[in-house]
Amino acid sequence: MTDRRPSLHATDKLAFLLSLVPWLIDHERVSVAEAAAHFGVGVADIRRAVELIAVSGVPGDTAQYQHADLFDIAWDDFEQNDVIVLTNLVAIDDTPRFSAREAAALIAGLQYLSSLPEHADRGAVASLMSKLSRGASGEPSQVAVAQDETSEVVALVREAVERGVQLEFDYAGVRGLVERRRVDPLRVESLDADWYLRGWDHLREALRTFRLDRIASPALTEARITHRASDLSLPDTLFEGSPDDLDVVVEIDAAAAPLLDDYRPVDVEDAGDGRARLTLRVGHVGTVARLVSGLPGRARVVSSDHARRAVADWAAEAAARYDD
Amino acid sequence: MAAVRAPRIPVEERLFSLVLALLATDAGLTKTEILSTVQGYRQKYVAGGDNAALERQFERDKDDIRELGVPLETVDDPSAAGDNHLLRYRILRGDYELPLDISFSPEETALLTLAGMVWREGTLSAESRRALLKLRSLGGAASVPELDYAPRVRSRDAAFEPLRTALDRGVVVRFDYLKPGQAAPRRREVAPFALVQHQGRWMVSVVEPDTSARKNFLLSRIVGPVTVTAKAFARPADATADSALEGLDLLWEQNTATVRAAPGSDARTRLGARRGTRAQDDDVLLVHYSDRQVLAEELTSFGPEVVVLAPAELRALVADRLRDLAADHAAPPVPAPGEAVS
Repeated sequence: MTDRRPSLHATDKLAFLLSLVPWLIDHERVSVAEAAAHFGVGVADIRRAVELIAVSGVPGDTAQYQHADLFDIAWDDFEQNDVIVLTNLVAIDDTPRFSAREAAALIAGLQYLSSLPEHADRGAVASLMSKLSRGASGEPSQVAVAQDETSEVVALVREAVERGVQLEFDYAGVRGLVERRRVDPLRVESLDADWYLRGWDHLREALRTFRLDRIASPALTEARITHRASDLSLPDTLFEGSPDDLDVVVEIDAAAAPLLDDYRPVDVEDAGDGRARLTLRVGHVGTVARLVSGLPGRARVVSSDHARRAVADWAAEAAARYDD
Repeated sequence: MAAVRAPRIPVEERLFSLVLALLATDAGLTKTEILSTVQGYRQKYVAGGDNAALERQFERDKDDIRELGVPLETVDDPSAAGDNHLLRYRILRGDYELPLDISFSPEETALLTLAGMVWREGTLSAESRRALLKLRSLGGAASVPELDYAPRVRSRDAAFEPLRTALDRGVVVRFDYLKPGQAAPRRREVAPFALVQHQGRWMVSVVEPDTSARKNFLLSRIVGPVTVTAKAFARPADATADSALEGLDLLWEQNTATVRAAPGSDARTRLGARRGTRAQDDDVLLVHYSDRQVLAEELTSFGPEVVVLAPAELRALVADRLRDLAADHAAPPVPAPGEAVS
């Protein structure tokens, strides 16, 4: 018989069972569909879990798992009406505590978000964090993410959404041209310390992503929004490729290669000597210079020749300002 | 009963049955009692035979269950302390259940759901997903925020996970660290007390066991694997993630650089929006930083839009980077095919 280590999957399923039982106890009679919606899982997951719970229990005095030692459900209701009613309970009453790591993940997440307008009440956040600590089975690990002031832009975005009006602001594109943009705000996203606004851009008549720290002179307008987040499907990736994108090959120390993950390299190959070559798709050669110059690990554009020369010219122009 | 052909019991059923059995006992169960009676073990148990494989499985199951935050504890038999065969296992209800006075309002539930979403990529995603399951278990619905948020923090440095393990165990780690400007990495042996992300970069805050000095190391500069030792280290009470962040904020406040950024440029807008930046002039900015090398990388990426005026070391770093960059890109890396050979 093979003794395989239970996959993460099995422990996740256990966490689900231990969470589902107390909820079912509180909801004496509940439909499978309602349970699925509440836990954000499929109805089949709920049915499988309930079937397992219904035959589980404790060995009991006889060590034989007698009927009274097992959970039980109203089988007719379950099989005919898709309704869950627990008729016999064993061992479990209440929700389990958070593990130290689970509590730490939520606490660090809260801290990261504490500059959002939703967090205006600092005292409420502090009390929420202390509740998580008290509800953990061990001392939460010391993991924290500094909150950055997300500037007043987020507050203004939120106000625009509440009032249903367009937001306008000055924005510099990659080519350095500043334009006044009018946007229907759809979602605020972040990646570590960088914050973005995704919205419908009335100037470009398309979905666009804007860096919050590039937005200047934002203001609410009187114009009603014409696009809502619920009407559009926003792609998961912040930046979308276009058929006009250029392929560039960048060589970098292999250890620093993961820093380019966001650019979704289409190809990665070993270049020897601890170096890696990555093929990236970029929208504009101007982007390439900014990209490779900010990376550790002596990044270098290998091709195209056009991109390489663009970086050389850009760097030479910048370096010339340091010639005393 | 020693079944010859045991029915296949799913792993989660065995783990669930173990938790139920240990919650139901006050005095605790011995390992033999567990293996011979609990669903999922009893099917494989051989009375009076060799159960070594089953015992190993039980050991792994215990770890997995504890990983979920279930306080599975061991109790010595008072008459035979230290005798492993008489050791008893149990889960005390009071330590297992969320205290009754802990509940969350719809607004709190919404905030916590958002906080869990932050980790949807990377090693903390499984944990935040489980935390949110437990939150759902309490029954509270989440209020729907007006504005749609999709916050995300990543933890993709290879050193992140071993360092977090060391934090949880309270032990010393060893790693090679490459300081910018040094030719070779140096071996460090330190006691980590916090993992913090500051200005988008993960750092590990440590105590040096020999000197008791506290330091921060950037995870991206750790070269090669992190070794988690068995050397225990007690975290000083004031060595917390919050104190580490406060220290980094203080550094940020103390260190300033003077740069000229072209008016109306992207650099002017972004550096102007950076925390604490003060404009001395229309185009001269005083920007704050915590690590000179990191700032040099950031400033270099603005290219001709920015010139560093002070401090001199930073100015030299940026100028050198730009010159290296220009030199690295001045000529094709390999002779282009068809080029005339003289």
